[in-house]
Amino acid sequence: MSHYRFLIVLLILVWGLTGCAPAAVAPTSAVVATQPPADAELPSAVSQTPADEVQGKLVIYSGRSEALIQPVLDAFKAKYPQIEILLKAGSNSELANALLEEAANPVADVFITTELFTVQSLATQDVFQSYLPADADQLPAEFIGQDLTWIGLTRRARVIMYNSELVSAQEAPKSIFELTDTKWKGQIAAAGTTNGSMQAQIAAMRQLLGEEATEEWLKGLLSNEVTFFGGHTDVRKAVGSGEFKIGLVNHYYFYLQQAEGSPVGVVFPDQGEGEIGLITNATAAGIVKGAPNLAAAQAFMDFLISPEGQKLFAELNYEYPLRAGVPLRQGVQPLEGFRLAAVDVVKAALDFEATFDLMERVGLP
Amino acid sequence: MQRILTYRFVATPSRKSPASHWLAIAAGLTALFVAIPLVYIFLRAAGAEAAAWQRLLQARIWQLLGNTLLLVFAVTCGALATGISMAWLTERTDLPGRNILRAMLALPLAIPAYIGGIVHLALLRPRGGLIPQALEGIFGQPVLTPSPLGFWGSAFILTLFTYPYVYLLSGAAFRSLHASLEEAARSLGRTPWQTFWQVTLPALRPGIMAGALLVALDILAEYGTVALLRYETFSSAIFVQLAGRYDRSAASVLSAVLVGLAIFILWAELRAQGQRRFTQIESNWRPARRIALGKWRWLAFLLVAGVVSASLLVPLGVLVGWSIQAFVDAQVLEAVFRTGSRGFSSFVWNSLWTSSLAAFLAVVLSLPVALFSVRYPSRASRFIARFCQVGYALPGVVIALSLVLLVNRALPFLYATPLVVVLAYVLRHMPQAVRSSESALNQLSPSLEEAARTLGRTPLQTLLQVTLPLILPGLLAGGALVFLTSLKELPATLLLRPPGFDTLAVRVWFWAAEGFYVQAAPAALILVLAAALPLAFLLRREQIFTDESANEHS
Repeated sequence: MSHYRFLIVLLILVWGLTGCAPAAVAPTSAVVATQPPADAELPSAVSQTPADEVQGKLVIYSGRSEALIQPVLDAFKAKYPQIEILLKAGSNSELANALLEEAANPVADVFITTELFTVQSLATQDVFQSYLPADADQLPAEFIGQDLTWIGLTRRARVIMYNSELVSAQEAPKSIFELTDTKWKGQIAAAGTTNGSMQAQIAAMRQLLGEEATEEWLKGLLSNEVTFFGGHTDVRKAVGSGEFKIGLVNHYYFYLQQAEGSPVGVVFPDQGEGEIGLITNATAAGIVKGAPNLAAAQAFMDFLISPEGQKLFAELNYEYPLRAGVPLRQGVQPLEGFRLAAVDVVKAALDFEATFDLMERVGLP
Repeated sequence: MQRILTYRFVATPSRKSPASHWLAIAAGLTALFVAIPLVYIFLRAAGAEAAAWQRLLQARIWQLLGNTLLLVFAVTCGALATGISMAWLTERTDLPGRNILRAMLALPLAIPAYIGGIVHLALLRPRGGLIPQALEGIFGQPVLTPSPLGFWGSAFILTLFTYPYVYLLSGAAFRSLHASLEEAARSLGRTPWQTFWQVTLPALRPGIMAGALLVALDILAEYGTVALLRYETFSSAIFVQLAGRYDRSAASVLSAVLVGLAIFILWAELRAQGQRRFTQIESNWRPARRIALGKWRWLAFLLVAGVVSASLLVPLGVLVGWSIQAFVDAQVLEAVFRTGSRGFSSFVWNSLWTSSLAAFLAVVLSLPVALFSVRYPSRASRFIARFCQVGYALPGVVIALSLVLLVNRALPFLYATPLVVVLAYVLRHMPQAVRSSESALNQLSPSLEEAARTLGRTPLQTLLQVTLPLILPGLLAGGALVFLTSLKELPATLLLRPPGFDTLAVRVWFWAAEGFYVQAAPAALILVLAAALPLAFLLRREQIFTDESANEHS
């Protein structure tokens, strides 16, 4: 009979487990609930600690892919040899959720994203602490978050790249709305829903055009058999090799592919009268509230917008540095020549959830 | 990789002893530990808002279900056809070079399918691959080559790297098959073809079914390969939900459906296994005669060589070639050793220590379960042993999801430590340890333990001084299997690793995703070699390599 007694014990234990589990699970919505940012503490002024005294581990969560951030980390490490840098690269939303999850027990010091909506939305959820980096006055005011919660780093534009052996400059689509034209059926590559820049483009379009028109555009892409990759590196390589004729990417992927010697061309789309204009966004960084290594985090933020850091982004990755006076890499078309779509970051961040619902509803992979 | 012939000693019915109670508690706690992710996922799925279910039910679940089942079916069929035919050719015919081929056919198990996928994709990618580009160079215009992408590509690649399960298990079954079975059928007037279908195949069924089960569950859990080759299944959709949106409700709902599917497959196999039994009398055993292939010999050789090339030689050759390229190019070499937060040696070390610790823990935890079920057979002990098989039905993404949610709330001190990764490996690979420990104990006569008890040893002393030393080789085999599979694990490691913590698998995945194949190659090669060592140990134990002359005289 002993095993019956045992079974009962087992049952009770299982019962206990199932009883406890729901209690242990705090509803995520409670964490997500918007809280007004705490009264901005006085931003720690310019960090004065000499380079070789800043030390310890610096944990960086980066929505920028490892390949695009590692050279910058290496340059920082060369300046601060005492700091051990620990990088976790992933998608913006994955890392943002990890930050919310860890709020009580922070692991990361600095968070870097590839668009502004995620940092803005985290700022309203009190994830960041205020900090005014050394040369923040060199950045345009609209790229500094409220209460100094985040700072912008570089700008990037959403462009159409094409394989110039397969598509002539005349033929290439001049507007993102031409991507739903059936003559490109099955010949377009883009990044999928895990990609922050794609998410941000859809969020921007929702604001510019409204929910319905954006939904129609997404459905158009799907019925046009657009292939969605995990990231843009795959997209640019596929267009470069001619596997696809057209790719929807950030501008620097075109330059990176061109630098590899592929026959590719680029269109900065939607410049015509009455069109929405070029959609741009910016990378940004913020110091996590309760960051275990504040001194290193501040030194890193200073470095990101220093002339040296900004030049790395411009030179290695063809991005548009936000700091005034840092030159573009040779050959990169300056943004000044284009009509840019005007997107309200604060509003887009508030609507970001609805953008995800939209992607889910249309079934974007 | 179960021994097909096990010598089963039946334990004398146990009297109530305090030792059995302690054992029961330890085994029960292990079962509870294993149950946590499962129970948690179902609770989360049940607790998901109706809206989440509705959104998913509208279209996605059905499409994912169709995609997943289609792939599972295709790969299982492919693996069965390949595995059985390879086993038959190497075990039962006079195939040239069969001794060396027999070992080579098993080795693809050391290559994670996504690494095989990376190599085949780099070679065959439409227009961009090395082969299409070479052909374009020769003919001056694009030549249509088979694409490794999508459904057919995924099915092909996954078949190449999972058929060894079927091959090993049916090979063992072929070897243990008594010659007289087929001889009787032949003398009763069956043609060789009829004999194969009506006698040989049914007798092999337990081995074949076990192999097919492993393949099917592997495909359900597969993430890396399908993500790479752009075919959406449940596992990859869950990963996207977690990485893209971090929508836990949707991920939980999808996970619950996926686990349900896996449990259904496990149950179906159990049912099918239970229906028929084949008993062989152990005495007078002699192997069946080899069939002379005659003029088909070389065609058969080409077939086997083709399979070995696609699944072993080509991937290894390409990885070696790329690695050499990496070592020649100073810039790439620097990147290999510097990228990542801590450098190359740390990925190797992380891979090795997490997998070893997981292997050790899984074997230790499997012991009470195995002791309880083998030495004190009862409904409760059988239930616990069965229940510990549940890890087979929990894909890496699902374990990651439940641990992400649980650890931060229940065990915050473990959060963002590599131990969570180890925990995931233990949960996922526990069944292999339990099965190995059980089969080791089954082969040990309880009379030895009883003698020790009679001579005044306490149960604990008996366990430590008699049982453990005798079953150690069996435990090591279980540990080697857990080590091997943990080393290859990708999705749970990707989702659970703390900042700056990279393993070989993660590194290869990141580099290859960015298209840095040459840079990824040395890490991939080391991963394959590290996996080949425990595999070689296991194959030797299963006597895959034994000389056939020794086999024929035994």
